[in-house]
Parts: sequence; C-alpha cells; structure tokens
Amino acid sequence: MTAPAKEQTTTTTWTGQSLPRKEDERLLKAQGSFVDDEGMYRQGYAQFVRSPYAHAKILSVDVSKAEALPGVIATLTGDEVKAMTEPLFQFAPKEDGSQVNEYLLGVDIARYQGEGVALVLAETRGIAADAADLVEVEYEPLPVVTDGVAAAEPDAYVLHDSLGDNIAWKGLFDWGDIDWALENADHILKIDKLHFHRYSSTPIECNAVIVNWDPGTDMIRVVSNNQFPMFGALVIGPSMGVGTDQFDFVSQDIGGGFGIKINSYTSIGVLALLSRKAGRPVKWIETRTEHHQSGGHGNERTFLDIEVPVMADGTMLGFKMRAFDDAGAYLHYEPLGAVIWSQVVPGPYKFKHVQVDYTETLTNKCPAVPNRGYSRMQHLWFVERVIDLVAQELELDPVEVRKLNYVQPEDYPYTTPNGCVYDSGDLPQALDMVLEMIDYEGAKKLKADREGSGKRIGIGIGTTLDSGTNNFGQSRILNPELPFSGNGEACTALLDLYGEVMLKLGTNPQGQGHETTASQVAADILGMSPETIRVWTGFDKSHSTYIGFSGTYASQFAVTGINAVIGAVEKLKAEIIEVAAYAFEVEQDQVELVNGDARIIGNPEAAIPFIGIANMVFANNATLPHEMAERVSLTCRHVYVPPFELPDVEKKYGNLTLTYSTQTHAAVVEVDEETGKVEILDYAVVDDCGKRINPMVVEGQVHGATGLGIGAALKETFEYDEDGQLLNSNFLFYHAATAMDVPNIKTSHIESPSPFTGTGAKGMGEGGGAPLHTISAAIQNAIGPGKAIVSDSHNPPERVWRMLNWDGPAEERGVTVVSNGDGA
Amino acid sequence: MLLAAVDYYRPDTLAEAVEALDSTEGARPLAGGQSLISILKLRAASVDLLVDISRLEDLRAIAVADDGSVRIGAGVTYDEMAMSPDLHRSHPRLSQVAAHTVDAQVRNRGTFGGNLCHNDPINNFPPVAVALEATMHVTGKDGDRDIAAADFFTGYFTNALSSDEILTGVTLPALNGRHMGYQEIEIGEAAARAVAVVATSNGNIESASVALGCLPIPVRRPQVEEALAGTPATADAVAEATAAAGEGIEPLSDADASADYRQAMASVVAKRAVMEAIEGGQNG
Ligand SMILES: Cc1cc2nc3c(=O)[nH]c(=O)nc-3n(C[C@H](O)[C@H](O)[C@H](O)COP(=O)(O)OP(=O)(O)OC[C@H]3O[C@@H](n4cnc5c(N)ncnc54)[C@H](O)[C@@H]3O)c2cc1C
Repeated sequence: MTAPAKEQTTTTTWTGQSLPRKEDERLLKAQGSFVDDEGMYRQGYAQFVRSPYAHAKILSVDVSKAEALPGVIATLTGDEVKAMTEPLFQFAPKEDGSQVNEYLLGVDIARYQGEGVALVLAETRGIAADAADLVEVEYEPLPVVTDGVAAAEPDAYVLHDSLGDNIAWKGLFDWGDIDWALENADHILKIDKLHFHRYSSTPIECNAVIVNWDPGTDMIRVVSNNQFPMFGALVIGPSMGVGTDQFDFVSQDIGGGFGIKINSYTSIGVLALLSRKAGRPVKWIETRTEHHQSGGHGNERTFLDIEVPVMADGTMLGFKMRAFDDAGAYLHYEPLGAVIWSQVVPGPYKFKHVQVDYTETLTNKCPAVPNRGYSRMQHLWFVERVIDLVAQELELDPVEVRKLNYVQPEDYPYTTPNGCVYDSGDLPQALDMVLEMIDYEGAKKLKADREGSGKRIGIGIGTTLDSGTNNFGQSRILNPELPFSGNGEACTALLDLYGEVMLKLGTNPQGQGHETTASQVAADILGMSPETIRVWTGFDKSHSTYIGFSGTYASQFAVTGINAVIGAVEKLKAEIIEVAAYAFEVEQDQVELVNGDARIIGNPEAAIPFIGIANMVFANNATLPHEMAERVSLTCRHVYVPPFELPDVEKKYGNLTLTYSTQTHAAVVEVDEETGKVEILDYAVVDDCGKRINPMVVEGQVHGATGLGIGAALKETFEYDEDGQLLNSNFLFYHAATAMDVPNIKTSHIESPSPFTGTGAKGMGEGGGAPLHTISAAIQNAIGPGKAIVSDSHNPPERVWRMLNWDGPAEERGVTVVSNGDGA
Repeated sequence: MLLAAVDYYRPDTLAEAVEALDSTEGARPLAGGQSLISILKLRAASVDLLVDISRLEDLRAIAVADDGSVRIGAGVTYDEMAMSPDLHRSHPRLSQVAAHTVDAQVRNRGTFGGNLCHNDPINNFPPVAVALEATMHVTGKDGDRDIAAADFFTGYFTNALSSDEILTGVTLPALNGRHMGYQEIEIGEAAARAVAVVATSNGNIESASVALGCLPIPVRRPQVEEALAGTPATADAVAEATAAAGEGIEPLSDADASADYRQAMASVVAKRAVMEAIEGGQNG
C-alpha cells in the first residue's frame, strides 16, 4: 500500500465533549411529545374514585348514579377487579407464604388516603370528574397506623390480615465484629434517634397513561410516562393473566421521573382492564393532588439505638443500630429498599464492623417507591450525621475526621465489609477542592465575626456515593427464591436503507440526554459526526430493543446503556468493514471508516459511502457472496452484561453495584436566631463520576440533584396527621424548591476512571442526596456543641428554632459519649 | 381537578350585580378568581352562579382625596396598585407589597377587594387594612354602608358582608408623615405577618398602630401600641415593647409550623415591622 496520505483520520474525539443536547431543541421549542399531547381515536377519559380515609372498610360501592350520567361510558370497581385478576406479585413473602394481597384497585379495605377504589370512564374529563363524585362508597373507618416504628409493635393494628402483622421484611445485617469493636473502642458515641423524612422529587409531569386493549388483536398498547415498563409488565402481566408479549409500551418525552414513575404500573394495569371492559381506549392524566396522595413517596427511615465505636483520634470502627423503613400501605418495588442501602454500608469510609437490625413496616400512608437516591441516600445521610457527630462530640475537626476515615485513593478497588467493591476515587482531594471553593478559612472567619449578631454561620460538609449499575442478585438477600440477578441493557445499531446510521436504545429517558451521549460514543467508533447519527427518540416496545432490565433508573445508563451502544456499534462497524473489504478486494484490516465512508487506509480516493454498503446489503445483494448476504444484516444488537456474581445470601455478602461515583458537597449557611430560617450563602460540589461522556450532561445532573436535595433539606416534606390525612397534597402546601431557593452552585470535578466499565464512566444521576447531609451538618455547626443535635433530615425554620432554643438537660440532647475505661 | 358545572353572569352595572346576588340562591361574586376558582376546582365549595364583578367600572379606580386619603376600588388588581403613581406617593410600602405579591399571573388578576373579602390567613392585605384603620365601602340591596376594617373580618375566610353585598372600595387614611412597616416570615406561604404604622419625632415614637396577620381575624395590639408610644425609637426599646405581641393570639398549626412557633414569631415580625417603619423614612 502507499504511504499514508497527509490527511488525518478521526482527529475528533466526540466522547468527553460538552456537546449541546440533541433533545434540547425540540424540548425548548415545545415540540416534545408528552403523554397528554397524544390521543387515540374514540378515547374516553378515566377518573379514579379515591378513598378519603387513610384506613377504612369498603362496605359498598354503588356506581348506578354515575353510570346514569349522560356521557359516562363505563365504571370499574374493586370487586370486579378482584374477580378478573390475581393479587400482584410480591418480592418477599414470609416463609409460611403469608404476604400482602394487593389488587390493581382497592378491594374490601382502603389502606391510605387517595387509594383508588373505583374508576369511571366518560366522554370528557369534566364528565368523568362529575361521575366520580356520583359514585357512592360506604366506608367504615378503621384505626390508623402512621408511625413506621410503632407499626412493628405486637399490638399495632394490622393493615393486611393476609400478612399477619405489619412487617414487610425483617433481617439482621451483621458484618465484621461489632461486639469486639464496642469493647475495644476508646469511646462509644450513642445516638438515640435519627430520622430521614418522607418527600418526593415531584416530577413536573404527573403520571399519565393512554391505554387501548384492542379487542381484535388482544394487544394492549400503553402510551405512558412509566420509566421502567419492563418491570411493570413483569408484575402486572401475571396479575392480569396476560402475556408480556401482549403489551406494547410506548413513551416519547417524559417530564421527570426520579424513580417515582416506576410506580404507575398498577394504574396502567387497572386502566387496561377498564379499556377492555369499555371496548374503548382510556386516557388518564393524574392530577397534582392525586400524585401527591397516591403517586408514590420516597422512603422514610428511622434509625434507633445507634452505637458508634470510635478511637480517640476519631477513627470510626463501625456502628450498630436498628432501622425502620416505612413502606406505606403496599409494597411497590419494596421491599427492595430493605437491601439496596447495603450497596453503601460504610459510606465513603473504611470502618469494618457494622450491625443493622432492619425492619420494613407497612403503614396507612402512600406507598414508598424509589426516589432519586433510593434507599442509599437515607443510609448515607445517617453515616454522615454519625461522622459529623463523632467530630463534634469528641471535639475533633470534621475535616480531619473525614480524611482520617475516608477510603484512600490507594485503597481502590476497595472491598467493603459486605463485599461491595468501590471502584475508584480520590475523596481527600475532592474535600480539599470543595473547601477551597467555599473559602473554608474565610467562612470560619465569617462565622467568628458574626457571633452575637443574631445570625449564626454554619459550615457543613457532605460526602456521598452514588452507586450505579446494581446487581439485581441482591434481591435474593430478601428472598433466596427470587429469579433475579445481574443487570444489563440492550442497543441495536443499524444502517437504514440509504446508509443512515441509527441507534435504538432500551431506555426511556426523562431528560438524561441519552440521544446525545449515545451518539457521541457511536460517532467515535464510526468515525463520523454525532449530528449524522439518529438515535431513535423515546421507546416503543414494538420496535425498540430491550431486555428485562431495560428502562431509565438507578444511575446506570452511562455504564449499561453506553456499553450496549458501544457493543452494538462495534458489531455494525465490523459488518460495514466486512462488506467494504469484499468490495475493495482487500483485507478487513485495510479498511477504515471516515466521515460516513468506508475507505482503504491511506487512500481517501478509494471510498464507499455508507449508502453504497447499505445498497449492497439491502437492495443489491446479488453482488455479495450468498453466505455473506444472508449473514450480514447491518442490524446489530448487543446486550451489555456487567460482570456480577450471585451474592452470598446467608452472609448478605457480595458485590451489589458496579460503580461508585463520589460527590463531595460543602455549604456555608446563615441561621436567623430569631426565626430559625436557614439561608445558603455559599454552596459547592465536587463530582467524581469517572470519565465523563458529556460533561455538560453531568453538570446538569449535578445541578438537578443538588436542587432537589436542597429542597428536601429545607422545604419539602410529606406530613400526615394522626388520621392519616396528607397535609401537603398540592404545591400550595408542598413547598417544592424553585429557582428562588437554589443558590448559585459552584461545581468542579475529578475524573477517577472506573476500572470496571470499559469506558471508565460511572453512573451519577441520582446523586446520593448530598445536600441533605451537607445542610444537616451546616445547621449542626451553626448550633454548636452542647446543644440539641440535628436528628432529622428535614429542617424547616421551626425545627431549627427549637434546636436553637433547646435548654434541656444534657442527657436529653440525644447523644452521649461513653468512654471505655469509664466503665461503659 | 376540574370545575363542576356552574352558571356565569357578567353584569354591566353594580346595581345589576347586587340584584343578581340578591335574587339567586348560591350566587357569589367573582373578582380575580385567584382563590375562588381554585376552591371550586378542588370541589371544596359549591356555587351555583358566579357574578363576575371584575370589570365593573365603579370598582376599578384609585382616587386620592384632598386630605391625602386614598380610595382603592375593590376591583383594582395588585398589578394596578403596584403601577399606580398615586398610591406610590400616598402609601409607598403598600405599593411595594402589591408589587411583590405572589407572581405576575396572580398580580394581573387578583384584586384588592377579593384579597380582603377572601380573608385567607395567608393573604397580604387584611392586616394592612386593620393597621391603617381603613374604611370598607359596601353596596347591597339596602343601599350603601361603610364598615371599619376592624369590624370587617369575622373569621377564617369570612367577612361581615351579607350575601347580596359587594365590597366596592376601601379608603386608606393619609399617612401624614407616619411610615408603614410590613414584615413576614414565609415558610412556603406566610406563617407570621405584622404591619406597623409609626409616627416618630425627635428620636421617639409618637404613636404606633400594630396589627398581626396570618390569623383568622387580623388583630391590633393595643398593649404593644401603648408600650411603644413615647419610647425611644431604638432597637432595644422596640424589642421590649413588642416582646408580648403574640400574647393571646390563636394562630393555626399546620405542616409548616405549629401555633406555638407562630405565636413566638408574632413578636419577631411585630418588632421588625416597627423597626422598618422607624428606619424606613425612605420606603414610607
Ligand atoms: C398560587 C397562589 C398563591 C397565592 N399566594 C398569596 C399570597 O401569598 N398572599 C396573598 O395575599 N394572596 C395570595 N393568593 C391569593 C390571591 O391573592 C387571591 O387573588 C385573593 O385571595 C383573592 O382575590 P381575587 O380577586 O382573586 O378574588 P376571587 O378569588 O375572585 O374571590 C375570592 C372571594 O372573595 C369574594 N369576593 C371577591 N371580590 C369581592 C367583592 N368585591 N365583594 C364581595 N366579595 C368579593 C368572592 O366571592 C370569593 O368568595 C395566592 C393565589 C394563588 C393562585
């Protein structure tokens, strides 16, 4: 061959660039398509009739007046649903087989305010709303259980007779030797109680479904914004007695998911039943009030009787505690949360001795479902609260105590006490960076200066992890019989008839920029610009590619999705090269792909554009050897499978997630002594998610997660009264953070590539709830030692004011230090 | 949620509006609709006929009298209050409050009269009317009458009007050299609010009117006012005089804050409002 031409090939690397998102143009020009933008011919509008009681027997449901209203098409009651379906699949029945019996609609008993007990379908939304008002439901109120800890008491009123008690799952997690640690520690820090509150990331678009059960084909077409439709199909299919092959799930743009939108599968199921009964497509757009009352809340967790063995220098040996997770009235995706926290047992620290007596309970509240930071964030908040209190109570520097206990850069890959493998990171550097960003020394000076002014300064640090690409095998820790393990994602890369490159993903993103990042990595492999690569928008089960894990959840696209893209595009590249090499009559290693052409290396003149390759395969196949023409399809599917093994369910030990992003946050806050109001003066984030495929997309996720976390820390909470009535059922009473509440966020990054993902990238979208840790720490710092402790993740003005004004006896502070040798 | 079916009528004159309210069972005036429509959408109240008074000319003017008092039509929107040069001169702090009420959408439709009639404890203007000793002008089937602001508010979401009556306007006395302070603590919505109208001379407080909001009925605090009169206009003196501002009030408890907290905060906002009035020569 001739000497290389002077023209350079593939000079551009698209991966790693902050390319503007492909999605933004349509979204910013209001050209996106959300469920409510869609419709089906002859659709009716559904309205749920919902229980006003948190707990009540349903004595009767009379739909006759509703059905008599002009414009009403059909109704559906719990009794009808019970007759046509089976109870929903439960992850972890008790050993004797007892379990929660949940149907797709409330049957016999309503167990939370807002639970659907009947449905009406009408020609318009207005008529449906009027008709729902005409459905007469006779209730007999029952005792209400709203406290997730009290629910576990033997005398608690039992929600589900079929379960026998209110305990959804219970287990002891015991790693290392906590008794040894408690005996040998210099000090034991005892904390009475810490509480992580209930809130939601409240997607701006509520749940929405259009479903048509086609009487001719028996196919069930579901246009929805559910973010994990495969999971939904696996759960509702058997309940409804239909095959998963009957479901066609479709979604285009989704207005935020955050995990909450995994939960709409029960609505999808029951609306499908209504469609079948009515013989009409059914449209349902959830209202904000419905969303708050029944759309799903994040997990609320209470930590009790915490004991923390610590050495004099601040080295933490571990902890022991009891945890109670409040799952609400039904188990939607739960009790997976009972094990998912154990992906991050020691948080970012090296301690080895941990014992957690864990109980998940059922209460008369909205079901808890995954919410950004799912289950790990609660635990990580706990760990950060503990390390911060260790520093305060032992009069140590919170920075030094963290650095002392951090997993160090040279420790990676680091195996945690329960066998998880932290892949990479540099926490001490991240902490130094973030402290510099908030001018730590300046902030300390400001704090001193402001003393006595009525405004106190608090400085807080929050280190957190975002574990991504989970090993579904961890579900076997809940129930060894469960047939789930591993993880993965699919992609199909293809040339279309005129040689256009197209990718089909298994995911259905809600703003994560998958179209952009997928095209970036594909562009690098194919030697062309991302602009020329079409990533099929949205998901449609009838033509998209998928496996059982497909969906957009749990911080994993950068690993599972992107590796599926890489695998599929590599296969496509190989086929293109094979066809081209045949045409050029050269060896395959003599062919390269440049700007949409297959060329002989070093000879730009000898080029076949992709259209020519496509032509040979799709429309001119007599030019190819018959064997090749039948084998090469230019339609290449790849399933990425992360390298996981089954965990040891006895020891609750194994690698539960593939990657661990670290996030280090710091805040300077000002606390108004008179009112307890907290204002954020400065906020900084250092994110380390390994190799960033598109830094701007990462930045967007950092901002989003930080904003939601700040909202949760200071403003957002779901509160129930003792009757189980939700006090925040709309945005008048649920104070979602707005642009006014989120300060300018300073961001920076480290890139510690993951050795386990091929690309070095890690999942990072959920964000690990760091603002909750950080703001709790900052408020604690403002209040200072010897006073009340920050024991709740949510700190509205009154709570802070009460801590500032607390003057009880020292033993009621909620924290004590016992020193071994003092006769502990 | 969606509105249930309701009849709608937009009369051309005040007399027709009163007539419609008087003759129709279940009729209610509709002003900006920023509260009423939300309540109807939640199906928390039912109304048979909405009598839209939002475009009645009689309700739409801001007029300054020779004595410096200003009459604000009940149908004047917050935005119109904020943009009125007359109100800006006569009651600058009120103009500012109007300019910062909620958001542009609500300011474009929400009316001064609707805000007062609705008397939601979170509403901005009821304690302003009480602190300023405003006069409420009312027209009903039996003609016109005036009600003192202190007598207008009767409880949560209720007022002294009978079902045929319409609030047509509100007269605010001239400030005459006094200044108004308006302070609140917001927890999503206002949780505590105080309005103070203070006259000072030579570094002393001559007179003060202090009203608390975020209550079923906005209340004056006569003991605080007496304690303030004659004291030096200093932070310490004001703190002492307002320390008991929350005594005896019964605020509500909700998910945002308990009654105890709100009661404690009443003194904080009272102090801050008085201090703002003292310091706020430039704001008014
Ligand atoms: C998102 C949101 C947030 C809000 N936050 C605040 C806030 O922070 N502070 C605040 O002050 N307000 C707030 N509001 C309420 C708003 O100010 C309303 O506009 C006000 O309460 C009612 O005024 P309106 O003109 O819209 O009256 P409408 O809603 O039309 O009527 C309210 C009630 O008053 C009666 N009414 C109205 N006008 C008259 C009249 N002239 N004579 C007799 N009866 C009458 C009606 O019959 C009805 O019962 C908020 C509103 C929204 C939508």
